[in-house]
Amino acid sequence: MTTPALLAVIAVCAPAAAALLLVLAPALRRQGAPAAVACIAASLASLGAALALALGRSPGEPAVRHVVPWLQAGSRTIAEVGVHVDGISAAMLVVVTLVALCVQVFSVAYMRGEARRGFGRYFAYHALFLFSMNLLVVAPNLLQLFVGWELVGLASYLLIGFYFAKPSAARAAVKAFWMTKLADMGILVGLVVLFVSTGSFEWTATPEPAVATAVTLLLFLGVMGKSAQFPLHVWLPDAMEGPTPVSALLHAATMVAAGVFLVVRAHPLFELAPTTGDVMLWVGAVTAAFAAGLALVQTDIKKVLAYSTCSQLGYMVAALGAGSAFAGFFHLGTHACFKALLFLAAGSVIHAVHSNELAEMGGLRRRMPLTAVAFGIGVLSLAGVPGLAGFFSKDLILTELEGRAGWVPWALLLLTAFATAFYMGRVFVLAFLGAPSARAGHAHEAGLAMTGPLIVLAVPSAVAGFFGGGLAAYVGASYEPHFGLTPLLASTLALAGIVAAVLVYGRGREVAFADALRRLDRAGAVDRAWKLLYSSALLWLSGVLGWFDRYVIDGLMNATGFATLEAGSAVRVVQTGRVRDYALAVVAGAILLSLWGVLS
Amino acid sequence: MPPWIQVFALELAVTATALVVLVCDALRPCRARTLAWFSVAALATALCTSFVVEPAGTAPHGVYAAGPWSLFFERLFLAAGILGVLGSLDWLESRVARRPAEYLFLMLMSLVGAMLLAGARDWVLLVVAFELMGIPLYVLAAYAKLDGPPGEPQLAAEAALKLYVTGAASTALTLFGLALVIGAGGSSSLAGLASPDVAPLASAGMLLVLAGFGFKLGAVPFHMWVPDTYQGAPTPFVAFLSVAPKAGGLVALVVVLLHGWPRHHELWAPALGVIAAASMVVGNLFALPQRDARRLLGYSGVAQMGYVLVAVCARSESGVAMALFFLVSYVFTNFGVFLVLHAAAENSGGHALDQITGLSRRSPWLGAALLLFVLSLAGIPFAVGFWAKLFVLLAAFEAGLVGLVVTGVVLSVVALFYYLSVARSTFMADGRSAEPVRAGLALRAAISLCLAAVLGLGLWPGPLLAQARLAAAAFGGGP
Repeated sequence: MTTPALLAVIAVCAPAAAALLLVLAPALRRQGAPAAVACIAASLASLGAALALALGRSPGEPAVRHVVPWLQAGSRTIAEVGVHVDGISAAMLVVVTLVALCVQVFSVAYMRGEARRGFGRYFAYHALFLFSMNLLVVAPNLLQLFVGWELVGLASYLLIGFYFAKPSAARAAVKAFWMTKLADMGILVGLVVLFVSTGSFEWTATPEPAVATAVTLLLFLGVMGKSAQFPLHVWLPDAMEGPTPVSALLHAATMVAAGVFLVVRAHPLFELAPTTGDVMLWVGAVTAAFAAGLALVQTDIKKVLAYSTCSQLGYMVAALGAGSAFAGFFHLGTHACFKALLFLAAGSVIHAVHSNELAEMGGLRRRMPLTAVAFGIGVLSLAGVPGLAGFFSKDLILTELEGRAGWVPWALLLLTAFATAFYMGRVFVLAFLGAPSARAGHAHEAGLAMTGPLIVLAVPSAVAGFFGGGLAAYVGASYEPHFGLTPLLASTLALAGIVAAVLVYGRGREVAFADALRRLDRAGAVDRAWKLLYSSALLWLSGVLGWFDRYVIDGLMNATGFATLEAGSAVRVVQTGRVRDYALAVVAGAILLSLWGVLS
Repeated sequence: MPPWIQVFALELAVTATALVVLVCDALRPCRARTLAWFSVAALATALCTSFVVEPAGTAPHGVYAAGPWSLFFERLFLAAGILGVLGSLDWLESRVARRPAEYLFLMLMSLVGAMLLAGARDWVLLVVAFELMGIPLYVLAAYAKLDGPPGEPQLAAEAALKLYVTGAASTALTLFGLALVIGAGGSSSLAGLASPDVAPLASAGMLLVLAGFGFKLGAVPFHMWVPDTYQGAPTPFVAFLSVAPKAGGLVALVVVLLHGWPRHHELWAPALGVIAAASMVVGNLFALPQRDARRLLGYSGVAQMGYVLVAVCARSESGVAMALFFLVSYVFTNFGVFLVLHAAAENSGGHALDQITGLSRRSPWLGAALLLFVLSLAGIPFAVGFWAKLFVLLAAFEAGLVGLVVTGVVLSVVALFYYLSVARSTFMADGRSAEPVRAGLALRAAISLCLAAVLGLGLWPGPLLAQARLAAAAFGGGP
């Protein structure tokens, strides 16, 4: 095994070992603190391996693979399991392990109030998540990627439902799992189609154009679920029932970005299917605009960030649809940093005021200056203020979209850029400026375990954009920041959005269209459509089938077999109710089948 | 002793075990514990031996062919037998302590019948084996006739009666159909119907036989006994009933259709496709509103059989291999779920979904086990169910059965609803009783075995897949 492969294996196996240890040693897990130590040590090892791996690679180096056969049919290998190290997986590994480590350290302080058992369980889930995510990132083929993909979904289910005693949390966990699994069926079928038509699960396979379109559309269905694209996005806001650090790691920085990562990874396949690209372009643009609209009126700080995540994932998906895998991947990286920062800063605030509601905050800038600065950096970066990380990646996406599909997606995303700056400005004003509310008056900054990760994440959130060229060379793409009309427009809109938010909310006002949006939000149209699909379509169908089964089929059987069964009165002596109906079912089914045989 | 007798070595070993259990108890009443552990040891020895010395060859007149194909099923049934005995032990001791030997004897004899099915190449042997498997089950279902759920003790008797009446009816159909088929072919050999063109009467006979097997499988429209029997019969027995006879029905079906009538697929393949699709639709949709965990699993089992039948519909060697893989996954997962339910119900006295509420609090181990089994049923990776589903879909798509693939995938999304609702209720905190759940050693051992199989085969499915392919290749697969 070569050194890079070994390092990648360490990055995957360290958290797996921690998870296994915590599962097999309940005594250790129930102690609480040792579980956190084990989990964080494993993440540290993972991060170390990822950094060594990434720094040891020179740009343009060929990919390193180390695989062992997993499934074999005779002498033919159907699928392999192992690691595939190239620029993309190395860079992604660093992002994932870095954010994971920050979040876990933050969690030590944030979850301190938990009972010791819960504390241990929390870190066991975290170790499981990091293992699954790394397994996904280094996957040498789509099958292993899918296995990791399903496992991060499981970890997400467990972590959203962490407060399972709360019915809303349990409901949200099931909803998230179900919605993403629904979408995953697309991937499952896509993999089946890919394998049957090309004989492998590799993303370098080259099926015919029609098959490629079918496969990529099916894969994209899975991406829509995991990356919360309209109309499958409804689970993400609900997922905020989980602990805030979990939202930062899974539902902002890493897991939800797995969909984008899948498309980047399988880019050779997606390049064969321009139709899928168009679909992605529109889905991404619509999601970005729609989610940003709903983010404008949320009163829960985490919900604002959740809708913002949907919206930003929409940007990435649109970029991928435009055929620029690098733009999507770049934004994935910068977004992971600044969104994790925003969530952790929000967690710090929630920890201090014991509420998610923006109305309970206000004036926190004096009581929590460090958090305020960190959150501010996140806001400016997300808004796309020139010089900060978000500016570079977002503008790259907008530039890539120029002229696509009649400029409509481009225009939608520019509008979204304004909305983004506006809603983030609103959150900052409501939470940190103005007069403190009753709860916010006693807030104070937490210890180093909480502020440390904020500082660590604030650095890349600010400066990561300047490394865009380096990253491009590293993953084998090309990137030149250029300053044409689009970046100028976008940064003007971003600044205008922030200024507008300060002007409106700084004076305690509300925008005119807020009521309309709030109604839209309260209506939860998409949510209702899904609920309708379940309660009226599925349960209705089940009911109809049941009725059909009970009355029509039974009736039919009674009619056909009545005479026969009348004779067998021995059966009627038995007073068990419907037993004869069952016998009739068998008889009538057989009669129908043999009629078929005679007639055909 | 004739030399060919060794092809029945494993069946003879189990029969001998059953007789020893019965006779020992008759001479001097033994404790259930002694008899059960003896049976487990004997079955485990047979299972291990089968990996060292592989019986192979044919019985005179070609009525039975031993080889990798029959061995695969014999091993599967031996494993199911071990789990069945282990799972029943505590219940036998506490509820029906006076006659454990008969219970074990009947279960083992049913097992012998199931083990004979895969190698049978003659109608007479096949039918006798089928009935040997089926008749003891009627008795077992009524074994604790007053031990139904609290408040409804008569359910057990009712469950047994339903199983019996529908079972007898379906046997009658099978035999009637066979009379027509054998009459047309003029031979009791399974492959006796040589000509692809058969008289209408014979084709009616073939479909009657199909109906008879459909009953044991619990496939729609022969599924109606399944939820009622599952709900009423003793749970450890239901665990056995939900896997062994179903696997038996499936193997008989595969042997008859793909070995006996491969040339008549134009007749039976559409019917089988309809049965498979209907099983998936009805099983999954009916499971949705169920409030009793065992009824829910009954319908879920109906749906699962639909998935196996999809693989059989592919009529290819790889399809058969995937069906075998699915079956193994189904056996261990379903056994596991029922045994966990049994453990929980023994302590809380009922199988409504409410009763497993908060199971993970009352016994973290059982809660985690149930979660894992349910995840396997839902097809999450690193549980064997993931591979089973993937393989079945692969085989079906390869054979061009796009309609069945789409039906299966759409309904597996529906299935997630009820699987997740089971998973969720184990985590809910408002359990009626907060008493910890205690399970006996044997029950824990059985659940651990299922867990090990579900996880082990999920992590490394390669060896099982290789075995399944070997068996399918030896069987010769479709036409």
